[in-house]
Amino acid sequence: MLKMSEYSFIAAILSVALAIVFYAVAVVSVRVQRGRAAVAAGGAATFDGGTSVAVTSGSSTFGTYGTLVAWLSFAFLLASLTFRTIATGHGPFANMYEFSISFATGIIGVYLFFERRYHQRILGLIVLPIALLMLLYATTIPATADPLVPALQNNLLLTVHVAVAIVAYGTFSVSFAAAVLYLLQSYGVPRLPRAELLDEISYRAVVIGFPFMTLVIILGAVWANVAWGSYWSWDPKETASLVTWLIYGAYLHARVVRGWRGNRAAWLLVVGFGATLFTYFGNLFFGGLHSYSGLN
Amino acid sequence: MSQLSVPTSTTAKRRTVDPEPTEGTGGGLTIDVSEVGERLWRIFTSMRTALILMLGLAILGLIGTLLVQVPAGVQSDPQAYTAWLDTVRPKYGGWTTPMEMLQFFSIFSSIWFKGIIVLLTTSILACSVNRFRGLWKTAVRPRTRMTAVFFDRAPHSATIDVAVAADVAVTDVTRTFKSHHYRTVVERDGDEVSVYADRFRWAPFGTLMAHISLVLILVGALVGSTWGFKNTEFAVPVGSTVPVGNGTGLSVMAKSFNDSYYANGAPSDYVADLVLYKDGQQVAAQAVRVNEPLGYGDVTFYQAFFGAATDVSVKDASGATLYSQGVPLLYTADNGTRRVGQFLLPQQGLTVLVVSAASGEIDPAIKPGMVQLEVYKTGAGGGQPIDTQIVSQGKPIQMAGLTFTFDRERQFTGLMVAKDPGVIFVFGGALLLVVGLFLVFFFPSRRIWTRIVPGPSGSEVRVGATTRHDATFGPDFQKIVGEMELSLAGKSGN
Repeated sequence: MLKMSEYSFIAAILSVALAIVFYAVAVVSVRVQRGRAAVAAGGAATFDGGTSVAVTSGSSTFGTYGTLVAWLSFAFLLASLTFRTIATGHGPFANMYEFSISFATGIIGVYLFFERRYHQRILGLIVLPIALLMLLYATTIPATADPLVPALQNNLLLTVHVAVAIVAYGTFSVSFAAAVLYLLQSYGVPRLPRAELLDEISYRAVVIGFPFMTLVIILGAVWANVAWGSYWSWDPKETASLVTWLIYGAYLHARVVRGWRGNRAAWLLVVGFGATLFTYFGNLFFGGLHSYSGLN
Repeated sequence: MSQLSVPTSTTAKRRTVDPEPTEGTGGGLTIDVSEVGERLWRIFTSMRTALILMLGLAILGLIGTLLVQVPAGVQSDPQAYTAWLDTVRPKYGGWTTPMEMLQFFSIFSSIWFKGIIVLLTTSILACSVNRFRGLWKTAVRPRTRMTAVFFDRAPHSATIDVAVAADVAVTDVTRTFKSHHYRTVVERDGDEVSVYADRFRWAPFGTLMAHISLVLILVGALVGSTWGFKNTEFAVPVGSTVPVGNGTGLSVMAKSFNDSYYANGAPSDYVADLVLYKDGQQVAAQAVRVNEPLGYGDVTFYQAFFGAATDVSVKDASGATLYSQGVPLLYTADNGTRRVGQFLLPQQGLTVLVVSAASGEIDPAIKPGMVQLEVYKTGAGGGQPIDTQIVSQGKPIQMAGLTFTFDRERQFTGLMVAKDPGVIFVFGGALLLVVGLFLVFFFPSRRIWTRIVPGPSGSEVRVGATTRHDATFGPDFQKIVGEMELSLAGKSGN
């Protein structure tokens, strides 16, 4: 079973990489054509959703292939995680290797959900490489399937706490990608999706991610209360997740405060994703109660 | 007295003037008392204030993760605190003293942290009070009719010309809204009909729930720290009974403790077989594991750590037993090469230290099967011992006129004992928070106004709505208007 899991994992890495290539070709050719069209029309046009723009079959074929391969990589990742769950008898969330694969799965899954809704493959060009980096990172760390230490021996909470975290982290990655494009746009990079659309995508992603992040922290508190005897101990990982939560909470307010809308709100999303990664990689350098990475 | 005029930010009257709703400050407070009060109210009801406070709290949190925090309990002991500061001094160098003065090493009990929490709580309460009446009115007595100006300026608007009378058109309009699960209120005024439609009108109270829940969680934390207790160093040697104290009347007996390991050396299980007594009567017994604490009333026992203990008995000259218990060797000394435990003989005014070699350490003086006993006068404050002896297991020895025997080596189980009456508030608040957030984000409240007036070809249907930065509303609005158009077009064909 572990072998099967590993093969699926490698297949996933290859397919994510291939998907990125397809996405790059599709996005570049669409933008080039739009550029020509804009020049032909005699003005700088802004474009909305990819669907409404007529493109030649070549580039849209690449896009379709890209999406297909991205779905395939998602399926490989799910398979890899499923095999590993069967092999180890617990959710694939117990060490850094398992969690990195889960994180990448969450990122790709949430991205594909947003692609179905908004058809902005250019987002994928930012999100998928993040997932690929996660997977490549996973190849550098030991993949041993160690049994659970006493504190983690709570299958229900382990599964729910971390599964919910993965959805939250995935949505934050998508909102980060949209915020980056938004900022690039505002600093004058042409031929990107409309600013309003990017703002909408970021917001929708956070609207899903924020309640999930809230749930992560609360489930963590419930578990801490059962296992450690205290629902909150200012453990570094706890604190980092609270900082992340506060930044996204601030973003939700910033969007309706004059002077914070737009660029500043987008910067909050970039900082928020930084905090997400900090929370994620935190186990590696600040120890504390969450030191389950298996890398110590 | 002050009179609150709730901002009409959710009603359309305001919107027609300023289609973009401003931050929660909005309407004013007509105040006679003082201008300061009004300004404070403005500041605390401003979302900008809340935003800045949240980011301030995030920065404190970041400091708390990046800088080493002083362990609980150390700060209250000046000597231990100074010693602890010296251990971090190499890391932070000359910054140590200024950072200590700024309370950066105890950031979560610092004046900064408490200050922001107090301000944020005030802000949350002020905003909630400020918004309540507006939300209530919108849900219960919404404004159902809009003037022409509203439809001219609404961010979302559409005009449909139909060939039928207003009375006929209204059925299609309401039917379309109903098919989208909207509630409708129809109002007639002469030959003009207004249809107000809304959906999830109670959902905005989720915002209120989410904000109040945060206050509830803070109340829980306060209740816990005021009326609860937490003993993180409660050690029970196997075979011994140790009182819990803190006015609980409870004592714990450890029947056994087992730590087991996987083949790779990682721990697989820690289990302590505990019996709980209240005023001498057995009230509970359980195998306590890391994820399976023992709860009795509002006191909970968690498996937290373990270590070596030594059974020591003490007799006086007449042969009466003064002490016979396990002594947990809780502390380490001499760079971790030795373990130390202590017990008191209160009637004799003596404190006894029990020192053994740490496991795996070869000690030139204290060999395996031996411990070193040191007898001090209680309260002498680390002076010279009255007597120090190294004793072998089972061999009685005379010290300070008493007979000491090192009976055997044991393990102790380290428990965390906690009573937290605030937990119920914390998790109640957490539940409210999740419910509130899901209500707000997954059930967006919608409101659409329609005005049907006689028009050139029959009647004119005007549809308009404002949004509160809800990105998904636009497409939904277009869809409803499209369906309305379709069904009304069918009518005009007749």
